[in-house]
Amino acid sequence: MSNLAGKANAMTLITPIDGPVMALINKTIFFFLGTKLFSSKLKGLLTLSMIHYARWVIVSARDFPRLSQSQPAEDLDYSYMLFFSNFNGSWAQYVDSFSAAIPDGLDGLWWRNVGWPQSVPEQPFHRYVTDNQLWTSHYYSAYPMAASNDVKSAKNVKDKLRQFIGDSERDDSDAFLTRYNRLLKSLHHDLGQMAPTPIVSLAAQAVEERRRTDGRANA
Amino acid sequence: MANENGNAYALTTLCPLLEVSGEDTSPAALIRDRLHRVNTGASSPMAKVPNVYFCRFLILDDVIYESKPHHLEHLQSQYLVFEASLHGQLAPYLKGMWEQAQPFVRSMWQFCVGFSEVNDAASFTAYIQKCQVKTTFFFNGSTDEPLAEQLKSLYLKQEFSKFAYAHQGWSGKDLQAAFKDFIARVEPENLARPTWRAGATDLKGVVIP
Repeated sequence: MSNLAGKANAMTLITPIDGPVMALINKTIFFFLGTKLFSSKLKGLLTLSMIHYARWVIVSARDFPRLSQSQPAEDLDYSYMLFFSNFNGSWAQYVDSFSAAIPDGLDGLWWRNVGWPQSVPEQPFHRYVTDNQLWTSHYYSAYPMAASNDVKSAKNVKDKLRQFIGDSERDDSDAFLTRYNRLLKSLHHDLGQMAPTPIVSLAAQAVEERRRTDGRANA
Repeated sequence: MANENGNAYALTTLCPLLEVSGEDTSPAALIRDRLHRVNTGASSPMAKVPNVYFCRFLILDDVIYESKPHHLEHLQSQYLVFEASLHGQLAPYLKGMWEQAQPFVRSMWQFCVGFSEVNDAASFTAYIQKCQVKTTFFFNGSTDEPLAEQLKSLYLKQEFSKFAYAHQGWSGKDLQAAFKDFIARVEPENLARPTWRAGATDLKGVVIP
């Protein structure tokens, strides 16, 4: 069991919402967040830059897939919000960053979810997240050595490098050097080598060690 | 559509489990056990599936009780939760998943209601679409490029960072010649190779030469 895949950390939460009206209100909040007028409310999430991809999914009883008549239909009074995040860093770094940087945003995203304690102070907030978290059994990242910022900066490096190759094709050596230095200056936020993640969970590290040992033993 | 954000797609599925497995262990316990044994990183079966950025598997046993004064309720079924953040459209992705990871797919979904009718890419796609729940809001804090572009970009970032570090203070003439060799080696337009290997967790095996 692991919520970790290198630098990526998987958080899965399930939180109840009290009834269809409240679920509709929450869906409406998300709808407006998806419009240009209100998308600036997510600026805090972008600024923190810890998330690769995240999603919120609100389901009521009738939304749970029922694939056979023999499968009992769900009978739930609450609606439920599922939250899936792929982020960088440790659980505590993630939860604390959001609580400290965008408390109002969090209170809006989990608006009146049952038992939601508000994102500040941190202790009740931590308890709520822990109590409502589900553990991942298999987690996969296509680039475990890259943080979200690495993926974005890599795109910038690739785009500017390709542009530079074309632009510098006919340069003499002096013009090339000038253009090259300009390229480096424009990429100084984006360059830097990636490496395996530092250990953020001793338990996960122990599992990895055990896998390696078992792998050697079975080889 | 809330499942999409640009060219990125959020797939969320809740696949109901059968009540019994036919073995002496419950479907949930069997699936968990199998998931825990699956290789991780570049050896994960999902590393072969095109255009998946991230994915996870877990079992939803029940909903969570928030204690009094709220009331207690239970799910009628357990669910295998499979969610993926991917590039492009759902149907080609699921076709690729079936083609590249069929033994894994069969093993994980074996104890799910309705999966016994799945026998090819088309029926797998139809099955997953029946289990799909609509995303309310999808946040993309990364890029929505094809995975091959992302992996090539990461390779170029890594290699160009090394190049820039190693060639500080060089003359224009020498630098221009070294850069020409560098471009011939890294092939920026070739997405197939050299590039980064999907799922690689250490520098030793990350480059596909």
